[in-house]
Amino acid sequence: MKLPLYLGIAALALSANMAQADGHLKFAPGEDARFHWDSYEALKSTDLSGETITVFGPWLGPDKELVESVIAYFEEATGADVKYSGSDSFETQIVIDTEAGAAPNVSIFPQPGLAADLAAKGHLTPLAAGTADWVRENYAAGQSWVDLGTYAGKDGKDELFGFFYKIDVKSLVWYSPENFEDAGYEIPTTMEDLKALSAQIVADGGTPWCIGLGSGGATGWVATDWVEDFMLRTQTPADYDAWVTNDLKFNDPKVIAAIEDYGSFARNDAWVDGGAGAVATTDFRDSPKGLFASPPKCYMHRQASFIPAFFPDGVEVGQDANFFYFPAYASKDLGKPVLGGGTLFAITKDSKGAHAFVDFLKSPIAHEIWMAQKGFLTPHKGVNVDAYGDDTLKGMGEILLGATTFRFDGSDLMPGAIGAGAFWTGMVDYSGGKDATEVGNAIQATWDSLK
Amino acid sequence: MDGIAGKSPALTWVVNISALLLVLLWTIPTFGLLISSIRDKDQLATSGWWTSLASVERNLIERSSAPDTQVLEAGIYVITGNVFGTEQGDDLGEVTAFGWRSQQPTAFEPNTVAQMNKGLTLSVGRNGDYRLTSPVEFTGSRGKRIFITSIEAPKFTTNNYNEVLFAEGLGRSFLNTMTVTIPATIIPILIAAFAAYALAWMEFPGRSILLVTIVGLLVVPLQMSLIPLLRLYTDIGIGKDYIGIWLAHTGFGLPLAVYLLRNYIAGLPREIIESAKVDGANDYEIFLKIVLPLSFPALASFAIFQFLWVWNDLLIATVFLGNNEEQLVMTGRLREMLGSRGGNWEILTASAFVSIAVPLVVFFSLQRYLVRGLLSGSVKGG
Repeated sequence: MKLPLYLGIAALALSANMAQADGHLKFAPGEDARFHWDSYEALKSTDLSGETITVFGPWLGPDKELVESVIAYFEEATGADVKYSGSDSFETQIVIDTEAGAAPNVSIFPQPGLAADLAAKGHLTPLAAGTADWVRENYAAGQSWVDLGTYAGKDGKDELFGFFYKIDVKSLVWYSPENFEDAGYEIPTTMEDLKALSAQIVADGGTPWCIGLGSGGATGWVATDWVEDFMLRTQTPADYDAWVTNDLKFNDPKVIAAIEDYGSFARNDAWVDGGAGAVATTDFRDSPKGLFASPPKCYMHRQASFIPAFFPDGVEVGQDANFFYFPAYASKDLGKPVLGGGTLFAITKDSKGAHAFVDFLKSPIAHEIWMAQKGFLTPHKGVNVDAYGDDTLKGMGEILLGATTFRFDGSDLMPGAIGAGAFWTGMVDYSGGKDATEVGNAIQATWDSLK
Repeated sequence: MDGIAGKSPALTWVVNISALLLVLLWTIPTFGLLISSIRDKDQLATSGWWTSLASVERNLIERSSAPDTQVLEAGIYVITGNVFGTEQGDDLGEVTAFGWRSQQPTAFEPNTVAQMNKGLTLSVGRNGDYRLTSPVEFTGSRGKRIFITSIEAPKFTTNNYNEVLFAEGLGRSFLNTMTVTIPATIIPILIAAFAAYALAWMEFPGRSILLVTIVGLLVVPLQMSLIPLLRLYTDIGIGKDYIGIWLAHTGFGLPLAVYLLRNYIAGLPREIIESAKVDGANDYEIFLKIVLPLSFPALASFAIFQFLWVWNDLLIATVFLGNNEEQLVMTGRLREMLGSRGGNWEILTASAFVSIAVPLVVFFSLQRYLVRGLLSGSVKGG
């Protein structure tokens, strides 16, 4: 009785896999003139048939499908078998795997800090010679991307370990234009206006914000982005840089003030959907859905450029949803700071295929395939910007260009134990009602213990 | 219970009622999961499972047809259609209120005419037919938003199970978990049964020291050995594979298995074993023909323990197996789903049910041995 059942399930699972294998290239090669198909053809000169490349990263769900749609072109052209697996607990899993020597060939790090930790322990393989020069020449602000991917190896020598691919602009507020229109709200251009608008929405009987910190093993990172944005909006860029390297202590009044600025939004029961208590428990992937509920559960959602991948089905970015720049204080003369982030690819287990895969990421086609879908920004100068799937992404590019200050996500630059640990849990504690000074002290204590 | 001295009928009632309450308390959440897992996903998102038999009221945002479908009627531009889409059926629901602004989505009764901005009007009927009029031509590429509140009859479906088993990959993970669990249950029982017999009935020097060492291993926290063990596997070329996790589960399960089985087997009547020896049976025959059949309750009770423990294990699978399609076990898949599909309760509840189905079957088919096996081992001792 049981055996036929299993066989049936196995057969179904098998046929489902086969169905996926057919026609898995999103855009037929050579057809769409927006893409650099020449770079795809050039890829065919690398023969990797029979080679298996394992890739491990934090992308799941829609992001996983997107990255697989890009990888499919690499497989098709080179004959390699690339196995991508994603995990919600990437940050812990990759430490276990590299520690035990069972690492995947290529790992996708959401934080340079964690990659730097692993490089220092000798778990990363330096990228091929010449990659640094390539990045310097072909990426906008190339030197800064080289610097962010360069760490000291086990022997203490600085080398390029990380290749940045897919960057995000984080200082964005998402909203539903039609809801704003119905209520007669204007897009705020200063932080003072934004706070006034939030108060106005409450006065009108609505809830201004949806905030969710939940993210499996990485719960809390959403709040670190808020705090970083407020650091850039209340302190000088020099102070921000000092904070990232801990020259400015975590319990410094300047940092505490930024945390409390975040608290003025997230710990205000009337300002957040579900009340302040719901902030830490709502998943960040679910929280934007409140924008599209009837009646709207909230009017604004501060999140990075990748979030449209998690909007409900049928939501058209640019029509049903749009974004504006998370504004700066008019009262402080700090210009228009923009916070960004990015994921980097690093080789955790050396192989010919792993290097070939990183080379593939240099080709314009690897960027254009994802650009043409959603949630992807790239500093690659050689790509055709017409490939962007919608005007929204172009708009983000403009925010990036209009920035007077651009800073990389601070928590991603801090040591892994802080940026992917104490800072996250500290922010969850703070959102749950703990005192800001207490949280600052606790994070600083962890940082002191690392030195 | 009646004839027992000192027990009043009232007390018996209290005991019975408390037992009943505890059982209810224990089963209600599971029952809720079951109901939730077979409900329509849109209805599940709106109301709790205890209201599943009542009709559901939902607030929807629909959109009128695009401006290119407008017609000119007596000087005004009109767009008509049905908010529930083109296919009209009975189960699509009934409109109880509508509105045109997100701030007041339920401002108007069906069949009334709502005045919108710039002279536009909107009316929606109970069956969802709407009529949108304007004195000037509609422009743009999309229709206007129509907010409706609709009442729908309760809907039950097995689609959630279809989706988790096939689209979400839980079916594949189910097979992976089976691949892990069955050998990881059978191997330690086999080894432990042999060891238990030897420790109970074969005389050899250092027997009690060996037994104490094995029992002592029970207190070693297995978490400590995870990384060194994985490193060993990588060095000898096993890497992250099923064979590694079978060996790991076998090792981690053996001390308890040997201890339980040895106590049970040592409690078997000495006469049986001695008379078999007199009849010329060797140890292997005694073990196979006498001890093994007699110790079935103990074997079964350990099998249940080991099976449930391996089935529900996340930690060891996370460390010793990869996160890919071929190796991700069910607990791992559930963890990822909590993240990527955290808001989709229909997915999570159906997944939870798939994952508890097999342990339930195993438990109920073997549970009559559970108490017997455990008690006989512990009470008699050895």
